[in-house]
Amino acid sequence: MEGWINPYYLDIIVFLFINIILGLGLNLITGYAGQVSLGHAAFYGIGAYSTAIFSVKIGLNPWLSILLAVIITFLLSAILGLPSLRVREDFLAITTLGLGLIAQSFFKNAKITGGAYGIDGIPMPSIFGHELTDVEYLLLVFIVLLVLIYVLHRLSRSKLGQAWTAIQEDEVVAQSMGINTLYYKVLAFAIGGAFAGVAGALFAHKVSFISSDTFGFTLSATLLSMVVIGGLGTIRGTLFGVSVLYLLPEVFRIFDIKIIDPNYIDTYKMILYGLLMVIMMRYRPKGVFGRKIRHQKRAVKD
Amino acid sequence: MLAQQLLNGIALGFTYILIAVGLTMIYGVLKLLHFAHGVIYTVGAFSAMIGILYLNMNFIVAILFGMIIAGIAGVLVERLAYRPLRGTHPITTLISGVGIAIFVESLFQAIFTSDPRGFPATGMKVEPIHITSSISLTNSKLYIIIVGLVCLLLLYAFLKWTKMGVAIQAVSQDMRAASLMGVNVNQVVAVTFFIGSALAALAGAFVAYDFNSLFPTMGSIPGLKAFCVVVLGGLGSIPGTIIGGLILGIVESLSEGYLTGMVIDKDAIAFVILILILLLKPSGLFGKQVEKV
Repeated sequence: MEGWINPYYLDIIVFLFINIILGLGLNLITGYAGQVSLGHAAFYGIGAYSTAIFSVKIGLNPWLSILLAVIITFLLSAILGLPSLRVREDFLAITTLGLGLIAQSFFKNAKITGGAYGIDGIPMPSIFGHELTDVEYLLLVFIVLLVLIYVLHRLSRSKLGQAWTAIQEDEVVAQSMGINTLYYKVLAFAIGGAFAGVAGALFAHKVSFISSDTFGFTLSATLLSMVVIGGLGTIRGTLFGVSVLYLLPEVFRIFDIKIIDPNYIDTYKMILYGLLMVIMMRYRPKGVFGRKIRHQKRAVKD
Repeated sequence: MLAQQLLNGIALGFTYILIAVGLTMIYGVLKLLHFAHGVIYTVGAFSAMIGILYLNMNFIVAILFGMIIAGIAGVLVERLAYRPLRGTHPITTLISGVGIAIFVESLFQAIFTSDPRGFPATGMKVEPIHITSSISLTNSKLYIIIVGLVCLLLLYAFLKWTKMGVAIQAVSQDMRAASLMGVNVNQVVAVTFFIGSALAALAGAFVAYDFNSLFPTMGSIPGLKAFCVVVLGGLGSIPGTIIGGLILGIVESLSEGYLTGMVIDKDAIAFVILILILLLKPSGLFGKQVEKV
């Protein structure tokens, strides 16, 4: 089975799925609960580093490491989300951005994260002594993605989702209706962070080497633009936004389209993302699949 | 050693003040967090470089050229990315600003490559001035302090004694009321963006000259730190911004001298301060009392 699929394509799809998981987590925080986060890469990094530390430095089983990493990211995201609760939406962006930079600087300088060298030799998980192949890993990531999509779908229809919608629409009103906004906002950060933790752990075991460069502001900003362009508050939007924007530059690489200098694909990609963000905010702030008002009303009535 | 670090810290503080004053004025007028301010700083530095290299300007003319180009860029950003969104949710303008920042930064990378380049030679050498045997300051840093002081005085005079300056203050206090009193709000906003951007460009050009290096992403960290300065000093308060800038500059400079091998980078200290301030005193040192920032 390995033979007839170009491993490069497999990698692209795995990374696409991981990015979608990241996007879903960010969408949960920003789209469902209305809390802008420009530091999502920090949660991703915490997930990746946790699993790396558990599996390489402590020598735990990779599956257990991934589980622990998700739990740790869940808890840390809740704690890191706390300062954000004091500030208004736009300041939240700076706070989360600051948290992202602090986290990255921690990854780069702390001993436990391997400093500037990062952590190497992160093992591939195995089932009954059989190490997962690339295709099997892809399958694993795909299953995780489906489960998380289901979880997010259920969450958004639950009482929790309604509380988030209420907070997003008007926090003061939500509070006066008896919704404990503090609790729900922290929970949004924790669950969204845990999604990023899953993505980070899956990423770490896929690439086997991680360093602090991966988890920077560029990633946070790129993710936010993907989620926003797709449409905040919808699963379809994130699937669409991340897939299209992530695959677009890859198309140029795979088909070797020589219109533009291949060394500059990432730069052109960012030019396009930035432009799209501005244009989208001006003409269609809800994004491609933005939630319609009617939909929101029904969600509240349910 | 301590005096040396303090002196460096003050020079660094003045660059932060020059960037942050624009942000604080823009916040005052529009209640908007201008996320693309850092790229304006970059635009200023690159325009000054182009002025020297291709337009044969001398140093001072090139800096003024950089300030004007950056000022125009700032006005354009407001016109294209913020004005159409006025009155919408703050998240919308915020994302638009981040979009502009990403766009301009990447465009500069495509045009100028991401590699750092030296500031063109102008006959103005960066050399240390010895104050005592152990304390010295490069002349470029001294210029930053002097130019910073002059600009702040000019800004004060402008805000206090000109019609436009008073209009800016009026709009900061209450945009609707000012508008009803016949103040042309759009003009005030444009002037505010022009002045703020020109001051950021001044800082950018001087830092590029001082460190002899400029690169497309040079503005992102200073632009974000300027937010920390603004929050530290109190939103919309210019005196607060000045004190905040000096505090951040001195703290960073001292940490560089005394705290080495920390888990937190020098660049991250500003954000630690930011988060502490938001937790302990969200109105900042000199800000008006607010329920929630």
